[in-house]
Amino acid sequence: MEAGKKLNSNEKINKLKILDYIGNFKRNNFSKNRLKNYFWAYLLIFPTVAGLGVFYIGAFFQNLYYSFTNLGAFGRYNFIGLDNYSRLISDPEVYQTLINTFKYTMLVVPLTVGISILVATLLNSKIKGIGIYRTLYFLPAVTMPAAVAMVWRWLFNGRIGLINYLLSLIGITGPAWIADPRFAMFALVIVSVWMGIGFNMIILLAGLQGISKNYYEAASIDGAGPVKQFFSITLPVLSPTIFFVVVMSLINAFQTFELIFLMIGKESMAIDKTKTIVYLFYRHAFEWHDKGYAAAIAVLIFAIILIFTVVQMALQKKWVHYE
Amino acid sequence: MLKKILIMSLCVMMAFSITGCGKESTQPIANDTKDEKEEVTLTFALWDTFQEPVLQEIISEFQKTNPHIKVDVQLTPFGQYWTKLETAATGGVLPDLFWMNGPNFIKYASNGMLLPIHEKAKTDNVDLTKYPKGLIELYTYENSLYGIPKDFDLTALWYNKNIFDDAGVPYPTDEWTWDDMVEAARKLTDKEKGIYGTSLQTSTQQGIYNTIHQSGGFVISPDRGKSGHDTPGGIKGIQLWRDLIEEGISPTIEELVDTPVIDLFESGSVAMVYAASWNVKRFMENENIKDNIDLVIMPMIDKRASIIHGLTNAINANTKHPEAAWELVKFLGSKEANEIWARSGVVIPAHFDALDIWINSYPQINLNAFVDQLDYSVMYPASRDNRWTEMERDTLRNVWSGEIAVEDACKTITQEMDKLLSQER
Amino acid sequence: MSYKKRQKNHHFWIHFVLITGVVITITPFIWMILTSLKTLGESTQIPPVILPDSPQWKNYVEVQQRLPFLRFYYNTIVYTAVRTIGQLILCSMAGYAFARIEFPGKKAIFIIMLSVLMIPSQSFLLPQFMIMARFKLLNTLRALIIPGLFSAFGTFLMRQFFMQIPKELEEAAILDGCNHFQIYKNIMLPLVKPGLTALAITCILASWNQLMWPLIVNTSIEKMTLSAGLASLAGQHHTNYPVSMAGAVLAIWPMIVVFLLFQKQFIEGIASTGSKG
Repeated sequence: MEAGKKLNSNEKINKLKILDYIGNFKRNNFSKNRLKNYFWAYLLIFPTVAGLGVFYIGAFFQNLYYSFTNLGAFGRYNFIGLDNYSRLISDPEVYQTLINTFKYTMLVVPLTVGISILVATLLNSKIKGIGIYRTLYFLPAVTMPAAVAMVWRWLFNGRIGLINYLLSLIGITGPAWIADPRFAMFALVIVSVWMGIGFNMIILLAGLQGISKNYYEAASIDGAGPVKQFFSITLPVLSPTIFFVVVMSLINAFQTFELIFLMIGKESMAIDKTKTIVYLFYRHAFEWHDKGYAAAIAVLIFAIILIFTVVQMALQKKWVHYE
Repeated sequence: MLKKILIMSLCVMMAFSITGCGKESTQPIANDTKDEKEEVTLTFALWDTFQEPVLQEIISEFQKTNPHIKVDVQLTPFGQYWTKLETAATGGVLPDLFWMNGPNFIKYASNGMLLPIHEKAKTDNVDLTKYPKGLIELYTYENSLYGIPKDFDLTALWYNKNIFDDAGVPYPTDEWTWDDMVEAARKLTDKEKGIYGTSLQTSTQQGIYNTIHQSGGFVISPDRGKSGHDTPGGIKGIQLWRDLIEEGISPTIEELVDTPVIDLFESGSVAMVYAASWNVKRFMENENIKDNIDLVIMPMIDKRASIIHGLTNAINANTKHPEAAWELVKFLGSKEANEIWARSGVVIPAHFDALDIWINSYPQINLNAFVDQLDYSVMYPASRDNRWTEMERDTLRNVWSGEIAVEDACKTITQEMDKLLSQER
Repeated sequence: MSYKKRQKNHHFWIHFVLITGVVITITPFIWMILTSLKTLGESTQIPPVILPDSPQWKNYVEVQQRLPFLRFYYNTIVYTAVRTIGQLILCSMAGYAFARIEFPGKKAIFIIMLSVLMIPSQSFLLPQFMIMARFKLLNTLRALIIPGLFSAFGTFLMRQFFMQIPKELEEAAILDGCNHFQIYKNIMLPLVKPGLTALAITCILASWNQLMWPLIVNTSIEKMTLSAGLASLAGQHHTNYPVSMAGAVLAIWPMIVVFLLFQKQFIEGIASTGSKG
């Protein structure tokens, strides 16, 4: 009792001393200290803020400016007002690429996310070898898209590709996947899903592992089977993670370029039915040297993503169940 | 410890690459205006790996008389070459010399990127009649010449003798007409074995441009203002190819997108192919086919015609060493240098006096087929920025796949092309 | 059916579905490696040859004769390493300041910075390219690296990690007379190791596999990265599949090995970008 009291009072005295010290410190060094803080803060953020300012924010406005010029070969340009935008509105290629992009996005995102949820849920059940499965499923995500495009192009070859050979074993004559406008989009979607599962699966699995076991136990006692548990517990609790994954996948799918560029290529007649808006941007900017117009396309891409972001923020409040 | 070393070395790497202490920032700066003999290094950009060793041989020959001029050859694959050159031009770091082709020439010349050489050629007595007229015209812009032709390419009909022997069909001759070719192709096509008698040539230069002119049409008017695709000759020149696919004696366009026609020919899946002279070396080095192929001139349609295209060595308008660059360009155009090209067999040399040597570079095949077509050669169609070639190719693709009729496609191409050409002016 | 038996049956089907998925996932890799060891004839045969008669290691030699792969490795490693280290330093510095120090304009600057995350990269590409052209940096490793040193995402991620550290630690250090740089360097950085790992992994993956920017700024073969080099191999007229596949194998193995060695970090790092981003 004695000792306890003493300790207690000692602590009080110490606390008082510290408070006094801080008070003095504050009184004497307040402004000086604050200025010092400012100095360090600005110093620490300076490189990043300056770099982002020049190469990103500045670049964004510069791009906006270019979109009003006819910037072309060899970096020369004149101001041409809204010409690029009026051309944009009447360019059938822009509409075609937008349609393709939306089609692609609408196919890839649900498939990728759906399969990722399935794989993550299966991996989360108490089975052996989760580690190995997780590693193997993640492999495509660390593989260079350029190499992925190359090997799949080869697999999809209509005459000598492995896929059509396997199909022929079960009596199906496969199409010329890459060259046939009716099938090229599906080929692209297959490859994109193949590439995208690993990444999403990891994030979803982490989300699943964060769900408390108590929920499931309680549900089990109530007699809910695994399917019911999935819909009544897993999905709602996981909804913020699913939402994050969906938004990221949508934005990525919308900006897809590499696979179309390398797998389909400009020689294929399927390109008309597969080229995306970013592919169009690339061709105008760096192959046709029509950079002013390309800048206007970039502004269009920005506008679409901006609208999407605003919409998703509004929807988020409705759909997502935060604890 | 290991970690520290790793981090240290990474930091050093970082410092190097950021401050650029490396070799990339400084190039030896020499000035040949003060003293002729001062050492000069010229940068020279090109794309063909097969030609590079030959060029090195010519350069070492050149250095025997010009020991003070060094040449730094920069090789870029063709797929990136033009993007790279444009990038370099935008950044003001164009090489001193570079290969130029027909489709890109006017764009560079009209933007003042190239050094005109007609005055220099006149003072140094370069005999321009020794080169194909079509090529001199190709590299002339607003009455100024910008390059001495380096080489040229023409197209011929190549055939695989084994396939002909197996089917018991006599080999093609120079007297063949298009119909003779079709007739033979019907006999040669063997669906079971996966062999096609002939093939659509998707490359316009090796394919339709030839047949359009042979059918009496034209691709672009001489003033580069109008398309000729919708002329009767234009339509016929395209229809002929379409018929091959329809009849099943050519691979479909889908198959050709998967595997390019040259690859199909090399693997023995196609008996006859229209292929340009730049394939000679490639074919003759291919173990699969080199002993059983030969070639004849393109079959006759309504008249003889043959698209000629060739490269030139262009000089950067802003080069620091215009004199040294001209010396090299002049030597590259000389008979002596052309004979070295000719012996290698890689390309047809542009200088007439070297042609005989080239024909004998592979005596076992009939290389005369190319040279014989010089007399009626037609300049490769090109305009300032050639945006129409994209549109033309896209439309043709739909013709090959059978989506649109040839006549409609030709009308579309002409309409669009005329519009694009008028924008170029 | 007893519970145990049902469980077993249940697990069988789970494994069945997962293994089917694995087969689909790794077949392209196996086919890539097998093709890279075939002769051209074997690779184009119908029906396909599964195993090459005798492995054609010369395909790997040939692809290196066509393209300078050692050079590509060097460029890619320098690019990836410098960019990653740069981002770790710069983003953690800025992230610390945004998380732990009060200063005027903080909120505004932070929001402007975050807005960068909303802008698609195409909007920066042309001006970044023109800046590099103006400073004659095209076709240098510096052009490749510089814009990638700055990352709004990285700064945001680091800020989230710094925010979680309890206030007390910092106060004690202030009492000891440390300045903010010392606090950042000596106390805070070691505490956000998981954040640094997550950022490093994201950055390494992105840099190694990035295509568009390297394709644009470095068109000279000497300054290409693996990704751009591979794209140029795909773009050559002649398609020799075994040789192309050998190139693809050469381009992807380093990243796969790094992943297999640091699996735990990869998976945790990516999972944490998911929960914090």
